[in-house]
Amino acid sequence: MNTLIIAFEGIEGSGKTSHLEATKKYLEKQGYGVITFGLQKSKLLGERITQVKRNILFERRTLFLAYVTDLADQIENYVNPSIDSGFIALADGYTLTLTSWGLTRGLEKEWIDDVLSILPKPSVSLPLISTPDEIVRRIIKKRGYLDPLETGIDICIKEDTFEAYIDYINRFQEVLMSISSKENMIYTDKEFDEVQKEIVRRIVSITS
Amino acid sequence: MKGLLIAFEGIDGSGKSSQAVLLKDWIEMRRDVYLTEWNSSDWIHDIIKEAKKKNTLTPTTFSLIHATDFSDRYERFILPMLKSGFVVICDRYIYTAYARDVVRNVDFNWVKKLYSFAIKPNFTFYIRVTPEVALERIKKAKRKIKPQEAGIDILGELPLEEGFLKYQGMVVEIYDKIAKEESNFITIDGNRPLKDVQMDIRKILGEYIDNSL
Repeated sequence: MNTLIIAFEGIEGSGKTSHLEATKKYLEKQGYGVITFGLQKSKLLGERITQVKRNILFERRTLFLAYVTDLADQIENYVNPSIDSGFIALADGYTLTLTSWGLTRGLEKEWIDDVLSILPKPSVSLPLISTPDEIVRRIIKKRGYLDPLETGIDICIKEDTFEAYIDYINRFQEVLMSISSKENMIYTDKEFDEVQKEIVRRIVSITS
Repeated sequence: MKGLLIAFEGIDGSGKSSQAVLLKDWIEMRRDVYLTEWNSSDWIHDIIKEAKKKNTLTPTTFSLIHATDFSDRYERFILPMLKSGFVVICDRYIYTAYARDVVRNVDFNWVKKLYSFAIKPNFTFYIRVTPEVALERIKKAKRKIKPQEAGIDILGELPLEEGFLKYQGMVVEIYDKIAKEESNFITIDGNRPLKDVQMDIRKILGEYIDNSL
């Protein structure tokens, strides 16, 4: 049986966090108890991953396993107990995001799937897709600049950060789209409210 | 692979760490050699230690965090060193994870898949002792039994010696099973003096150390 997890999937800047927040508000208005979790948010490893990520940039398998450990810790110590007591869990990045991250870096699909099979399947996955230009704009607005070490520099070294970023986003989203079901994909390069309405339509069936 | 991968397995108190060190000293005179211990990644081991103390690991996260630690050492040290011709000695290898995870009821097939990226050692010395002998050695060395050596996370708070015998007994059972399955396993009777065990190991390895490059 699928667990009452709604997973927002996508690259940084795809709109995961803002649509997750809007969805949380919507569900709470409907009277649901909602918890959120996501990539690199565990008490066990979340902070440590942030600290060491730059040092282990090329240890892809290790970083992947650290991300899985981080998710598993949240699932077992926080998400499962909350769902058992009636909450809905929203994930800010879950297995599809992690799979795309790993595949973009050449880890084996079969191995990734095997390892991730330990985590519960979400009720619904919403892969959020946007244009690379739009994504880059959002990141610059949020962070103030493009951090070359944050995304993709380990796989696509280009003449400048912008080009490298665009290249990485393209690769990542290609992979994400290839492993996601078409009908659930959400294109976020539109008005925020319009996108949010679409998301609400998708989740109505599970929450009702 | 130009290098040679040698693993030591066995329960706590089996003497395998001493054997690993003695072997390293011997090989060092002839070849480049590197020794790595279980649970020693410089950025994860303190987290594991802390989590064990607080008892916040579940069987799944226990398994995954040790796999992360192993992978870090594997990608950083073990694999590049093997590729460049080192003899790499591992004081505990993936079979430790097999045994400890299975004892914690994690699905054996899943654990095997989790570690499927790791190459199999050329030699795995399984230093087999009974839990009773291991306990005697620990007492003789005047070392305290660590709570995790007494399986506190799965057996609860038993008296330490009782927990040790029970938990290590469970681990031995799994090791014995693995020893039958894995062709690289060499079971060595560890209930004997340190020196005798080491001589057996050196006898088996002798020509390989000199000729494998």
